[in-house]
Amino acid sequence: MYKSVFYKEWIKTKWFLILLSLIGLLAVGNIFLKVQHNITFNGANKYWYLILFQNQLYFKSLKFVPLLIGLTIALIQYIPEIMDKRIKLTFHLPINEDKILLIMLGYGTFGLVVSFGLIFSFFSIMSSHYFGKEIVDAAIISVLPWFLAGLAAYFLAALVILEAIWKYRALYFIAAASFLLLFFEGGIAGSYSPVNFKLIILTLLISISLIFSAYRFRKGEM
Amino acid sequence: MSNVIECKNLTHYYGKKLVYENLNINVKEGSILGLLGKNGAGKTTTINILHGFLQPREGECLIFGENTQNLSPITKSRIGFLIEGHVQYAFMDIHQIEKFYSGFYPKWNNEPYWELMSKLKVTPKQKISTMSCGQKSQVALGLILAQEPDLLILDDFSMGLDPGYRRLFIDYLRTYAKAENKTIFATSHIVQDMERLIDDVLIMDYNRVLAQSSIGDFMGNFKQFNFKLNSPGIDLSKEDFVVNLETTGKEIELFTYESESFVKDFLKKNNISVDNFTEIKMGLEDAFIGLTGKY
Amino acid sequence: MKKISRYILVFITILAFAVAIPKLYWLAFEKPIQAPLVMYSCIDDGFMIQYYDQEFIRTDTKGNIYTRDEFELKLPLFYIRQLLINGTMPDTIKGVAMDVHEISRTKSSYRYRPLYKNAPDPGLYPLFESESGRANLEMPLDYFRIKERMEFVIASSNKVDERKTQMFTTVLNNRGFVFPSKMIAGLPTTRKTIDEGYIVIDDADQMFHVKMVEGEPYVKKVDVPEGLKFKRIECVDFKDRKYYSYLISDANELYILTQDDYELIKWPVEDFNPEIEELRIYGDLFNYTITLKGPNYLNITVLDDKYNKVDQYYDSWTALSETKAGKAAAFIFPAEIRMTDANSSFVNFYFERTKGFLWLILNVLLMAIHYTIIRKNGFKLKRNLIDFTVILITGIYGFLAVNFFQNKFFD
Repeated sequence: MYKSVFYKEWIKTKWFLILLSLIGLLAVGNIFLKVQHNITFNGANKYWYLILFQNQLYFKSLKFVPLLIGLTIALIQYIPEIMDKRIKLTFHLPINEDKILLIMLGYGTFGLVVSFGLIFSFFSIMSSHYFGKEIVDAAIISVLPWFLAGLAAYFLAALVILEAIWKYRALYFIAAASFLLLFFEGGIAGSYSPVNFKLIILTLLISISLIFSAYRFRKGEM
Repeated sequence: MSNVIECKNLTHYYGKKLVYENLNINVKEGSILGLLGKNGAGKTTTINILHGFLQPREGECLIFGENTQNLSPITKSRIGFLIEGHVQYAFMDIHQIEKFYSGFYPKWNNEPYWELMSKLKVTPKQKISTMSCGQKSQVALGLILAQEPDLLILDDFSMGLDPGYRRLFIDYLRTYAKAENKTIFATSHIVQDMERLIDDVLIMDYNRVLAQSSIGDFMGNFKQFNFKLNSPGIDLSKEDFVVNLETTGKEIELFTYESESFVKDFLKKNNISVDNFTEIKMGLEDAFIGLTGKY
Repeated sequence: MKKISRYILVFITILAFAVAIPKLYWLAFEKPIQAPLVMYSCIDDGFMIQYYDQEFIRTDTKGNIYTRDEFELKLPLFYIRQLLINGTMPDTIKGVAMDVHEISRTKSSYRYRPLYKNAPDPGLYPLFESESGRANLEMPLDYFRIKERMEFVIASSNKVDERKTQMFTTVLNNRGFVFPSKMIAGLPTTRKTIDEGYIVIDDADQMFHVKMVEGEPYVKKVDVPEGLKFKRIECVDFKDRKYYSYLISDANELYILTQDDYELIKWPVEDFNPEIEELRIYGDLFNYTITLKGPNYLNITVLDDKYNKVDQYYDSWTALSETKAGKAAAFIFPAEIRMTDANSSFVNFYFERTKGFLWLILNVLLMAIHYTIIRKNGFKLKRNLIDFTVILITGIYGFLAVNFFQNKFFD
């Protein structure tokens, strides 16, 4: 049963997951090409200085990469489900309706965690190669909310896509977009340290939000 | 024989618009029921309630004794749903989709599926999305049959099918259902096919049920008489025995459950002179139109 | 689970809207509020005030109105360049001959903002060569951290310079330094006249002055009176070289650490709140003007050159909450949440409850509107009691949230 659901989701998403992960890795690669270039031209000590005391965020270009990956995976996974109201097929399967949605969601989450994990690890390893621990730690604190936003966007996009009425879809979108802004306040490196844990909790909380719109669908709101 | 589907006192509104009131439907085990009705008569509403996608304002539907609002996985595994338009996971090919569904049904039997697939001229790697409507219908049907369901609920199964595929679909289905004692609840807006398939008929119109009986009784008792009316200005449509009346100039088509002699007696008693009184033999489609009217 | 998913969505929507809606509101309606400029005149020994009300108005505490030139004449040390151009610079003030060089040498300006303190530590600092013999300071090739030892990390290789690390750690150990450091304060910039290294607080709250002289460690333990601890040390680079730094104690007192003899001198500045108040210190030949600037007030203390208090002044202006937009906001928003704060560099959920209970009027009104919505849709009142409570407490945010995520099937 789990295998079957994973199999279906894998058919939908495999190329995108692979491709988007590669794009993410390339984005990280690009960051460190620039770092390498800056170090070559300005000297490592001056570049460190810019990062430590002039608030230069060398990882800035990573900002929306996880968001885009999360949104794309949500689109690829859930748009085929609502085309021709195909989600009905899913609900007819001999398995609890919430459970199968959560398995689908679990697949997407797992896929994103693997993809983000690869990108994040690559970023951390490269950062540790070029910079001292303090710079790396601050960078990790700063990029973490962006990866969380990728997951949150995935969860909320599922909610928006599975809602069948356009009016409510628009309202959910407004709420979701306002919420996602919380992850992109910017600020200096490391500024998210007091709030990252709270954002992790919030992201976990909204993980089940697609249950809401799917339930509305099942009760005839279409 | 017990009822597989039991709908009791269904009442539903869309906003303030009444769809139907106190509708009762029973489908006996092993029988094939056809739900007929014009667009907007409440076919889709009924199907959605059976699917559990709509909560009726009042009343309930039971399938195998369970409320359709919360079917247990075990009961769902005994039901094969065919969704309007033969919708399936179009991003898969026929091997992938068989593999997908087989994981859910303990009684999965892929023989009827591959038997149907072998008749299709599709390549093994062809995505369902690139197939014709007829081919898609065979895939959808094959998947349902492989489930070995006890009940099949088929929503507008003839949609988009050319006559050959329609015939194939119906014949295969009836043979299969009768051989294995399956129960079928089907809707279609192409009425003529239904005659070959169904045992019982349920005809709905806006807000009410027009007929609910076995197809034999319905076709035997519902009659059409054509005649030319000589006395102008006489309106027969208000008479109790008249179910429907279509008038073209002086030519009258009269639909009734009464016998030829009853109608003739009535005309004689009321001094209504007619010419060319003939009983017309009807197919299911004629009867359906006769009952529901052309408009 | 369906019910929980709805309440989660309602909750995060309230949270997101409590951030986004006030933000948009202030973006649309906030008007700039300018704080007055208050300076101490060495001519009158009194305060000179400049504020903006349609135009610049220059006055003093007695209410005299001045022209721009008159105003600048009262503050000759501040406006010296302008007075020199005008040829109106006096030859002597208070019997002291006005020497441009001396005026410039004794002039100092410094600003502390709460967000300097409430900020992530860089953790790595450059240690400059204090006596390089060069005119300009040069950025060192390595950065240090003080954890279990004082470690120097070479930027180009990202490797620890073991020899230098060993050398500094040994000296620190010999001076009684307890690793790791609790605070490292300095001026990590090449744009200063000379380098004086760092003031470091160790794990036992001892204070050290650490710098590098001709490649060798210079470590001096500073005697700190028993029980005196500092929450913030701000190093300065003033030409008169009187002191290394300003220090803010845990009791919010202001100290200076004198140069060479390492004396901690407390300045007579009262009621400083470094969490929300900006501190400005302007020094010249005669006085130090210490300005504590709060959200809508200035609290100014003037010291003479011996750090004795000579005068003080308090001024306030319309607070944001008292403006038209502020009063309207008190009616609309039960509370606001900001992700950023003017007094912190950290991102967080800064929750601020609106003063008073005017917003309850709107909340009750929204409950009434919600009641009509429920009736129109034919929902049951009993099912919506929680939603009503949410609106009563969270007002506009909750009203939007419960209607965005309709309570249709969830009883």
